[in-house]
Amino acid sequence: MKSDDSPTDDTIDGSPTGTDAGTERAGRTPADTDGGRTATDGGHAADGGHASTGGRVTAATAEGELVTPGQAGTDAGTDTDHGHGLPPLGSVRRYLITTNHKDVGVLYIVTALFFLIFGGVLALLMRVQLWGPGESLLSAGAYNQAVSIHGLIMVFWFLSPFAFGFANYVVPLQIGAKDLAFPRLNALSYWLYAASGLLLGVSFFQGASFAGGWTMYAPLNLPTYTPEVGSTTAVLALLLFVVSITVSSVNFLTTMHRMRAEGLTLRRLPLFTWTILLTAWMMLFAFAALLAALMILSADRLLGTTYFSFTEGGSLLWAHLFWFFGHPEVYIVFFPALGVMAETFQTFTGKRLVGRKWFIASMVLVALQSFGVWMHHMFLTSINLQVKTLFMATTIGISLPFDLMVFSLIYTMIKGRIRFATPFLFSFGALVLFIVGGITGVFLGAVVLDYEFRGTYWVVAHFHYVMVGGVTALVGGLYYWYPKITGKMYDEFLGKVHFALYFVGFNLVYFPMFLAWETPRRVFDYPPGLAPWHKIATIGAFVLGASFLVMFYNLSTSLFTGEDAGDDPWKYVTTAEWTVPSPPPLENFPGIPTYRSGSIDFLSEDERPALGGGEPAADGGHAAESTKSGLTDGGVADAEAVAARSGAESASTPSSQGEGHRGSHAPEDGEDEHEDHASIWPLAIGVGAFAFLLGASGFQGGEFAGGIAGAFYAWVLAIGALITGGSLVGMTRERFTGPSGPFGESWPFDGIENVKTGVWIFLASDVILFGAFIGSYVFIRVANGWIGWEPIPHDPIPGLINTYLLLTSSFSVVLAMVAAEKGSKKGVVGSLIVTIALGIGFLVNKGIEWQELLHEGLWLSTNVRTSTFFLTTGLHALHVIAGLAIAVYMLVRASRGAYLDDERPIEYFGLYWHFVDIVWLFLFPLFYIL
Amino acid sequence: MWWLTAPLRTAVVPAQSGIIPRGTMVEVFEEIYLVFLVLGTLVGVVVIGYMCYLGYQYRDTGDGSDGGDGSGGDGKKIDRPTLGELPAGSGGGRKLFTSLALSAIIVISLIAWTYGTLLFVEGAPAEGQQDFEVSVTGYQFGWEFEYPNGHTVDTLRIPAGERIDITVTSRDVWHNFGIPAFKVKSDAIPGQQTDAWFIAEQPGTYQAVCYELCGAGHSAMNADVIVMEPEKFEQWYANTSGSNGSANASSGNATNATGSGANATAGNGTSGNGTGGNGTSGNGTVNALIADTASKLA
Ligand code: HEM
Ligand SMILES: [Cu+2]
Ligand SMILES: [Cu+2]
Repeated sequence: MKSDDSPTDDTIDGSPTGTDAGTERAGRTPADTDGGRTATDGGHAADGGHASTGGRVTAATAEGELVTPGQAGTDAGTDTDHGHGLPPLGSVRRYLITTNHKDVGVLYIVTALFFLIFGGVLALLMRVQLWGPGESLLSAGAYNQAVSIHGLIMVFWFLSPFAFGFANYVVPLQIGAKDLAFPRLNALSYWLYAASGLLLGVSFFQGASFAGGWTMYAPLNLPTYTPEVGSTTAVLALLLFVVSITVSSVNFLTTMHRMRAEGLTLRRLPLFTWTILLTAWMMLFAFAALLAALMILSADRLLGTTYFSFTEGGSLLWAHLFWFFGHPEVYIVFFPALGVMAETFQTFTGKRLVGRKWFIASMVLVALQSFGVWMHHMFLTSINLQVKTLFMATTIGISLPFDLMVFSLIYTMIKGRIRFATPFLFSFGALVLFIVGGITGVFLGAVVLDYEFRGTYWVVAHFHYVMVGGVTALVGGLYYWYPKITGKMYDEFLGKVHFALYFVGFNLVYFPMFLAWETPRRVFDYPPGLAPWHKIATIGAFVLGASFLVMFYNLSTSLFTGEDAGDDPWKYVTTAEWTVPSPPPLENFPGIPTYRSGSIDFLSEDERPALGGGEPAADGGHAAESTKSGLTDGGVADAEAVAARSGAESASTPSSQGEGHRGSHAPEDGEDEHEDHASIWPLAIGVGAFAFLLGASGFQGGEFAGGIAGAFYAWVLAIGALITGGSLVGMTRERFTGPSGPFGESWPFDGIENVKTGVWIFLASDVILFGAFIGSYVFIRVANGWIGWEPIPHDPIPGLINTYLLLTSSFSVVLAMVAAEKGSKKGVVGSLIVTIALGIGFLVNKGIEWQELLHEGLWLSTNVRTSTFFLTTGLHALHVIAGLAIAVYMLVRASRGAYLDDERPIEYFGLYWHFVDIVWLFLFPLFYIL
Repeated sequence: MWWLTAPLRTAVVPAQSGIIPRGTMVEVFEEIYLVFLVLGTLVGVVVIGYMCYLGYQYRDTGDGSDGGDGSGGDGKKIDRPTLGELPAGSGGGRKLFTSLALSAIIVISLIAWTYGTLLFVEGAPAEGQQDFEVSVTGYQFGWEFEYPNGHTVDTLRIPAGERIDITVTSRDVWHNFGIPAFKVKSDAIPGQQTDAWFIAEQPGTYQAVCYELCGAGHSAMNADVIVMEPEKFEQWYANTSGSNGSANASSGNATNATGSGANATAGNGTSGNGTGGNGTSGNGTVNALIADTASKLA
């Protein structure tokens, strides 16, 4: 159908656009020879479950006028192949290998609901204990575990993943994309999440799980006070969860910025997508701070560094790092709920949102401000009056945009035709709860009152009203999108029963907590006078729990007995997910969605060249997509960077160019190109990461325990490292085709393709990671006394040499790129060899330096000075090692002639490598000279 | 950051000195809490009530009409959202900002009002006010109190009616020291000192509680606080001494302190050392009182 130098060569879906990268980089193809395509690349056949709606083939028959005949013909030939090796919807195997955003969304939702039950059971155990002041169902240690893990599960393993289940399912549909930018990375996020959840579960069986509260205050979070292996496992589980979130944020941000349908400028983005966009940005930065905190904590626990046991400032350091993450986190969990409310309010009132643009502006404001209020969680610490005043002011400042949003939702009801269907009941209820939560939050914002409320059930009640208020909206979202996801309608009556029980139960649990506010938080003993309130709360908790049984019954039976929902079971919906069948076909749309005419149309592939012609009212800076290339799933670059962060593997040789070479496989047999939807590697990496961290949990103070247990952990660790490393290599070598451009709207990344956008976004979070490490160092040093602190290396010369080595290597990467542009294989190979040699030189030099320090008896655990030195520069060294791994992989490929037609992989690697250099430019003076 | 506090101070303090709650922590709290509660409830009831009203007023009656009469109530046909349209809003900006301004006024004035009290709470004792200092150290799982004379106990005894300044720290993990009855609370952080004060009006026995999860014993990490008549207190205090054996043992040594319930009464036998034991004599009033009671005893 097309040949190597055909202009369509680069377009993943074979659309004959003459504007794609293929034209600019004609022939940028099969340089790659290392391995054939393994996944079967068949037609877009319907997969089983989608019998009537799936795939482009059926779309072609049902809505044939929208699809080019030629394409339908191509696809029809391979009708039997189920969506690129993807088993039918009903099969378990499908969910193990799927990379499709809708399947991953379902996985997220189901897994999150499992964690809701897990966390809910822990909550019920606590409520039983709280029935009366002296009850002792659980021992003190068990109660503390229940409190801690309940909090961790609900905030991390339930709420965000639940919201991101919807985000996965709905966001690509709402923005008119076929999938996320990096589908395999999306599956990887899910499997890392699942692995982290499993790890958390396992922690209960290793002595005891973490019992220091979800806020994990230092130094209670250190082995001195929480020595059980399970505590370490829980910390590592959270670390893995954060890695998953980071991968996911990069993916979502790239997708939402780059892959919107024509006409969907940022301003026009549906509100749910808007909330997810802001959530993902907040996650990117906030979780990077938490990642730093958890890496330091893990180092303290595993390697024996002494950050948090440092008396002069360790505790406060943790509090700052945690709450710098923690306050944005409360909006991270709340924003998606707000998005669901906005969508459902519009749908069920039949009104567009009042003051939509101010609503959006408020959210942007909150997202920015959220990083400047964290110390309101520390009003009772030793921070001074000025700082308190400042944070009191910012806290009030951040509550005002919320007022506007609440009013906007309320006024939307005016002149509506309000239908109290289950989704709306939940959203309406959520708004009521949020108002109560917000008002009680203002109490806490008044510092004098916070002094009294801090650490009491007032805070507990407040944040349950806001957070579980958010859950309420998300449950509404579940009912709202259930017909879309399953194609079946749930039972409306049971839905209303659920709401009634839920709302009554909710207020029975949490309202009495305001009345019994004098109960200290996380305590199971309280003044007997408060017992009646606690009894009511316990009853309420069971009502609330029972209401979910109704939901599970309703949703699971409706799968089989529900009426067919049709494309749009609601009236007055606007967003694109309702324009396609329920459930939507594998690649979502019957053509290329565009809003050029002001409402959605689907262009056939033939019409595609016209894309980008008519520029709609733009929100600034939109160049049409037509002049740039759309590259595909470059996931691996991020995957490896993440791996580098977690320090989980240094053996693998991932490639930064990812599937950049996707153009290379199809033409031989003249077959059209299609996106892939299956890969086994994300699951494999998840398994590897699980084993690796489980093994690592047995490590304490720099060594494994003796005996059988120690040997067991060591083996599990080694096996985990092997699986992870091997799978990363496998994933890198796998040919995988993700969605590619040109896309309609890509502001503000119009000129940059997906992989590069992803690398940039990832590096942005890495900046925060290093920023947090450097900040921690400065904080500790100031607490210790800046002046009396000698740099650890006596001699700055090795460091200086290393600075030169790295700078030179940055230069040689640029040379490699130039050589690739000129088509000189020798040049590429040579420059890469120089780069690698310089990188190795850096590491050897550092190794010698460390060796000498070690001989003097200085190591990670010696004191806090050495801890900061070794850990921060060690993190940097890991980045160097990861970079070298990529470089070696690229060298191998370059020696076979790769990159000459397409030097972009070298460019992406260069970005990363320059970043690593720049970091060193900060570290060197801080740790060697000052 | 004087630029921040100074204008606030000048704006708030003189203008409102009559309105700003002062007094004991309990009085301050109760006054502010009441105002917040009343206003908060009012706002909540109005807003939620309005929501419910709207929900009822504009419910879909199922008769296919808009707003009851086929129109938006003002005769205009309402433009309903359609499937696949580009997301857009409906006007109403003015209404929105009016409401926002209203709520902003309420919130900001409330907070500004409490700020005056915050300055008062954070401030030093007033001229001529008697105050008494105690340092509090948390440990797993108990509290240790040290008096200016170095005497260390695990049951806090204090004089009624006097301002008690506490300096709080921890010997191991993060705790939070609070006495609910007196509405005082302060973090106990290893390596850090935090300050707070309170006044206990009524003699009696109260409880100090830990408000920050600190380990298995957290729920039971209480201490008795005995508020005594000032004279009785002085009498007791005069009989304590910093060089007391049990006090030494428990300072800086968690394991010893845990079991030292006897400390509280340790002073009993060693009477007669009067004012002599007072190493830190920054506290004239107390010293005078002690001398006074000592002479009465004699
Ligand atoms: C009107 C807006 C809000 C204000 C003024 C506010 C204020 C506060 C303040 C001052 C605290 C610290 C209390 C303390 O520990 O002493 C707090 C705690 C908390 N808030 Fe809010 N808040 C607001 C909205 C929210 C929202 C939207 C969420 C989540 C969706 C939330 C979740 C939390 C959580 C989880 C905590 C407790 C953290 C912990 O100590 O474990 N808040 N809030
Ligand atoms: Cu906060
Ligand atoms: Cu405690």
